[in-house]
Formats: sequence, C-alpha cells, structure tokens
Amino acid sequence: MGKHALNIVKSREFGIGIILVLAIGLTAFLNPRFVTGSGFSDLLLSSAIFGALAVGLAPVVVARHIDLSIASNTGLSAYITAKLISDHQLGVIPAFIIGGAFGLIIGSVNGVIVAGLRLPSLVVTLGMLFVVRGIDYQIAGGQKITAQQLPRSILDLGIDNFMGIPIVFWVVLVLTLFTAWWMKYTALGRSLYAIGSNPPTADVVGINVFRSTFFAFAFSGFMAGIGGVIYVARFAQVDSSAFINQELAVVTAVVVGGVNIFGGVGTAIGALLGALLVRTIIGALVALGIPAFWQQAVNGALLLVAIGLDRFLATRGESKAERVNEEREEEQSWRG
Amino acid sequence: MAPSSAGVEPLLTMQGAVKRFGGALALNGAHLTLRSGEIHALLGENGAGKSTMLKVLAGIHELDEGTVMLRGAVFEQGSPRAAMRQGVAVIYQEPSLFPDLSLAENVFVGQLPRKGIGLDWKRMRTESAALFEELGVPLDPMRLARGLSIADQQVVEIAKALSMDAKIILMDEPTAALTSSEVDRLVFVMNRLRDANKAVVFVSHRLDEVFAICSYLTVMRDGETVAESPVADSSIEEVIRWMVGRDLKEIFPKVPSTPGKVALRTQGLTSGTTFRDISIEVRTGEIVALAGLVGSGRSEVARAIFGVDPYDSGEVFLDEAKLPASRPKVAVARGLALVPEDRRQQGLFMPSSLFRNVAFEMLGPLSKLGFLTVRPEQKLTRTWADTLQIKYPNVAAPVDQLSGGNQQKSVLAKWLATDPEVLIVDEPTRGIDVKTKAEVHRLLSQSAADGKAVLMISSELPEVLGMADRIYVMHEGRITAEFSREEADQEIIMRAATGQNRNGTVA
Repeated sequence: MGKHALNIVKSREFGIGIILVLAIGLTAFLNPRFVTGSGFSDLLLSSAIFGALAVGLAPVVVARHIDLSIASNTGLSAYITAKLISDHQLGVIPAFIIGGAFGLIIGSVNGVIVAGLRLPSLVVTLGMLFVVRGIDYQIAGGQKITAQQLPRSILDLGIDNFMGIPIVFWVVLVLTLFTAWWMKYTALGRSLYAIGSNPPTADVVGINVFRSTFFAFAFSGFMAGIGGVIYVARFAQVDSSAFINQELAVVTAVVVGGVNIFGGVGTAIGALLGALLVRTIIGALVALGIPAFWQQAVNGALLLVAIGLDRFLATRGESKAERVNEEREEEQSWRG
Repeated sequence: MAPSSAGVEPLLTMQGAVKRFGGALALNGAHLTLRSGEIHALLGENGAGKSTMLKVLAGIHELDEGTVMLRGAVFEQGSPRAAMRQGVAVIYQEPSLFPDLSLAENVFVGQLPRKGIGLDWKRMRTESAALFEELGVPLDPMRLARGLSIADQQVVEIAKALSMDAKIILMDEPTAALTSSEVDRLVFVMNRLRDANKAVVFVSHRLDEVFAICSYLTVMRDGETVAESPVADSSIEEVIRWMVGRDLKEIFPKVPSTPGKVALRTQGLTSGTTFRDISIEVRTGEIVALAGLVGSGRSEVARAIFGVDPYDSGEVFLDEAKLPASRPKVAVARGLALVPEDRRQQGLFMPSSLFRNVAFEMLGPLSKLGFLTVRPEQKLTRTWADTLQIKYPNVAAPVDQLSGGNQQKSVLAKWLATDPEVLIVDEPTRGIDVKTKAEVHRLLSQSAADGKAVLMISSELPEVLGMADRIYVMHEGRITAEFSREEADQEIIMRAATGQNRNGTVA
C-alpha cells in the first residue's frame, strides 16, 4: 500500500466512515426498509442541516473555541428567509443568499466580540444563543409560516433528488469539500490549527489571531444560515422554535467526527461524517422500533465512546513517546 | 573558542534601559551590546532582568526609558511581528511549537508561503528539509510537532529563525532540559550560526557551558548591567561574584548537627521494576541525600513513601510506627512533607494567591468552628514569607506572578508551615538562581539543625556533597551505595550512580 493510501486508512475519518457503513448495514439487515425507497434519502435529508452546522462549527472548535449560538442562528435565519421569500415569492438562489448573509451577520457579531474583545467564546455564544432566540420570538411572535405561503421552488428543493441523493445534501457536500479545502490549504485555515494547538504562542509568532478567529465565527454563522434555508426547504414550515435546543447535538456530531474539543485537530469531512453517524444511529433506533427516550442516551453514549477512544489513543501515543525519551535520556546520561 | 569580537561594529545596542512592572523595576539602566558573529552569554540570577531584556528584544515588552539601536537605526519595540521583521528570533527554554501542525508549517508559521490563494506546500517542505539538513538534524518536515523531543523542537525553532533570515538569535536557557549529547549537538548548531555571522545570545545558569561556548559575556544584577567582558578575560569565580556579590562557599552553608533518633525508615520497599528493595533511614537533625541519575527511581521512592503512588511490598516507618501505604493525608498528619520536583504541576495552585497556597496545608488548624477567615491565613503566610525571604507584591497576588525561585520558596513555606518531622525535598534548587539556591540550602540546613529529618533528592553532585550528612546512591531502581559526608566525592558517587561498582565495568 502506498504511503498516501495508508495515511487515509489510518485517519480518523476513515474509521468513522467504516463505523457509519457498519451501522447502516446492520440496521438494513434487521429492517430492510431503512435503506430502501425513501429511507436512505430521508437519512441524508435529516443529516443535511446537522451536517451544515457541524461543518461550520469545525473550524471554530479547531481554533479552541465553541459556538453555541448556531442552532438559534439557524432558527432565526430560517424564519427571516421564509418570511422574505414568501412575502416576495423569491426563488432558491435568493433564499440561500438571504439565509447565508443573515447567518453571516450573526456569526460576525460573535466574531467581533470573541476575537476583538478576547472574551471566552463559551460565554459569548451562550449569551448570543438566548439573544438570537429572543429576537426570533419577538419577530415571529406566535406566527407560523406554512407550506401554503412558501414558493413552490423552495418546497421542491426539499424533495428533489439528484442521482438518488437529495439536492440539499449535495449543497452541504459541496460546502464541506470547500471547507475542507480552505482549512487545509490556505494560510488562514492553517492558522486556525495553530491557534487551537497553542493559543499563547499564536500571538507571538505573528499570526493574525483576530482575523482568523473572526473569520471562523463568521463562517460558522454563515453555515448556520445555510442550515436555516435547508430547514425551510425540508420542513416547509417555520415558527419561532425552529431547530431549538439542537446546538449540543451539533457539538456532539463534531466531536464524534474527530474534531478535538481542545482544538488543533479535526477536519470538515470528519464533522460531516460525525453528523451522518449521529443521525444514522437515531434513524436506526427508530427503524428498529426502539423507544424514543433511548435516543438521547445512545447519542450521549456515542459521544462518551468517541472521547474515550480519543483519550485512549492519545495516552497510548504519549506514553510511547515518553518511554522512548526516557530510554534515550538514560542511555545518554550513561555515556555522559 | 572564537576569537574575541571586540572592536567589530556593534549590531545592536541597548542603553539606559528601564522597565517597570507596577512598582517593581525589572530593568534599571541596563545596557547590552551585540556584535555579529559572536555567541554572547547573558548571565545573572533569576529576577536580575535577563528575561525582561530578552522580551524587549523579542517585541513582547516595551522599554519605559532607554534606547535600542539596530544597525544604526531605531529598533521598533512592542510587537513580536516587528521584532521578527527586524531580524530578531527567540528560542525559548520550552519551545513553543504548534503540536498539531507539521514541522514545515511550524518553520514557516506567521509567514506561510502562498501559491495563488492556497499554500505552497512543496516549497515549505523542500525549504524546511534543507534547513534541517543545514543544521545537521534531518527531521521529516511533514511529521507533526507533537512528541518531538525538546532538543529537536529547538532545532525546529532555530530553522524557523533561519527561514526568517534572523540576524539576532536569542536563546533563553536552551540547555536546561537537554541531555549532554543533545547539548553537544546544540553547541554545534550554535557554532554554525556564529560562523554564518549571526549574533547568538545565550542565557544559561551553567557557567561551565558558558565558558566553553561563548566568546563574550554580559552580567546583570538587580536590573542593571554589572559587567561586560570577553569570556577569555574572566573566570567562573569572578562571574559568580558579579552575579551574587558573594563567594562560592556561601552557597552550601551546611551547619554541623548531631543526628538523633530514626525519624523515617523504609524496609525493602519495592514497586514493580521502578524500584526494588529500598531500605533507608533518616535521623532527626540529619540531611540525607538520595543521589542518582534522572530515571533511577529516586522521585518514585519519595512518592511511594509519601503515599502518592502505591508500592508492591515493603514497609515505611515514621518514628518507628508503620505508615499505611497510599494514604498521603495520613502521612501529612503524621508529620511528613514532600516538596515535589515539578513545582508548577504538583507543588502550587497556579492562578491562586500566595496565601491560599502557603496556608493550604494548614486550613484545618486555622479554621474556627469549621469556617475559614482570611486573616489568619494571611498572617501565617507573612510570617513564613518573611522567614524564607520570599519577594512578593502582596499576599493576595497570584503565585504565578512570582519568579521561579520565589515560587520554589513558596512551596517550601507551605510545607514548613506544617512543622513536619520529616521533610522530603525533590530537586529543591532545580532551575533557580545561585542566590536563591543558597537561601534554600540555608533553610534546609536550618531545618535539620532544628531537629527535622531531611531527605533530599538531587541530581547536582555539588549540592549533594555540599549539603548531605549521608548519601544513598540509586541506580536502576536499587540502592547501590551509601556514603558518609567524609567518604563521598564526585567520582565514587558517579560510579555508584552508573552502576560501575557493581559489575566492575569502566565506561
């Protein structure tokens, strides 16, 4: 096997991919309806929103930050998008522009506060979670925008497939590949890994910490906004509680997908796979007729297994390095 | 040794440097002159102002008064990026790489080469590989920095400095954490830098290294420059006098004392392969050293006695009464104290205040009806801080604001406050300056004279010879020799520590 191929096989993403395939295969074996007909495209459809948010959150977490405002952002962006396109009967492209831009604005506010004032992102975005949801309640009131009010094109977007895969999932997939590219191949992306890897040093070596951190939060907001548009397309109705309380499910997906919660490690593709895995397991529990109240517990257990595995792999690596260092030191002090 | 570089046009001059932190004067009229093609030693005790001076040149601090001129132009202060742009690079004692990035990225971080809007990975890879090659350490540029030895991390830092075309390379105690062969390799690299006409600033507490490596030296004390001299024109004794204003023999102020009853005894203490069959005793009024190489199991024995780590077999006796295993709380209650080696990790609660730290082990006796009041804690802290001459802004200041030596004294204060019968100190003077060293030694000596039993773990032979009444030597987890103060000398301890008196081989 080539070195490159070996690296792929050894990667975290490959492992999650295998588990994902196994989970789908096992469920399909027990209940074939899980993958036949609309089952599979339902799974991808429900993963699309989580995937968009997880991919947006990945660069933030890589930089050792967190964004808890994403689900509220998705909710408000969904409402604003639905309101504008139904009032003015706009098409799909304007919908994505409105949703993305609105999400970007909220993300930029996070970015300015966290990066500019150097406040802890956990607290800042926790505050924004409530502020944004509050604005949502204020604007939406008790109103609900329903399928009757929404233009035909956006409803079709939530139904149509291309090559057996929902259009909205294609959208998320393209954005994921784009994110994977800029995180790996641009100076800005690499500086996020540097910041998350060793925050105090990032300042000293001349990285523009403000710009990189701001960008990560703005991007996370943008992806949450895109998630909002997908929400409108998929559910064909929006009220003020859209996507409420889902932020920690997204964090779970990101961590399960191999993004280190302490920063420095992780990829957009891993985050998307994490979202797929989390949604697959929930879908599988439904398909297998397991009571709904187990879903949360299983999700939590998945998270614990994922970080437990990380810890195990990390300590194994560390102790190996330490042993080698110690042996070498002893050998050398002998000679010295 | 390099020829004396006096007379060459200076590359950088700092004059009349003053830097205040709150009320404290870190630099008080210091000056420094660097020339290209020299390895320049910057010497002084901890707190003398060396680090502050380096940080000014690194762009982290800005002088309150004074001038810095670089090649005849005013040096732009106060920004790490500007410092880098002007050709100043810093290699810190603990290198600050990004563990999750590749070595190539670490070399180019802050100035990642671009190709279009992406990165030029090929250039990063080939150029960093070439730099590692040039430094004589062929590292794989694509491996992650995580897990790299400190010596290799320094090489990456130096490669980073070269990639930025640095003219001045500041090295802050680069040899403190290296083994002797790694030091040799670093010296080789430093000589290359000197030959490439760089100015290398070398900070070290190891004067023998300074005299072997450097061509010029600047000595600082209390924020002032007290001496500047070609290394060839000075001696170690002279430098120590400049640094501390006192003589070498004051560093080991051992007062004779008469050993009393056995305060601590272990019988056949064994823990897996870490240490085996450890039987030692320490009497009141006695300082007993546990010598040996790093990794010989000394610290592990101390931790097992104290109860932090478990052991497989054997027994520990305090005052001839058995001490239960793995019960540090019982050990403390019975009058045992352990001052650990790694004070930052194991000895202090870092962001907490000085008095919270010093009074921590005394919270029981200090509380009234189960409630704590701040006043007695602070009073206790002031008493001990005065006794140990700890320098602190106020008792509520976070301990991480104190200098390394004062932190070490704070840990000692914490344990001395418990009035222990037996005091175990692990590398009590590692990484602290000569003057503080002398004070720590004076305290240990005083503690023994007051009737405490002191068990001192140390890798520094002069310290072992200067302070101990009796010496146990460990090698690969076993006690290989025991010497009295009169019997011991450097050579026989070194032989026992390397296991040569057992199998008779000669290195």
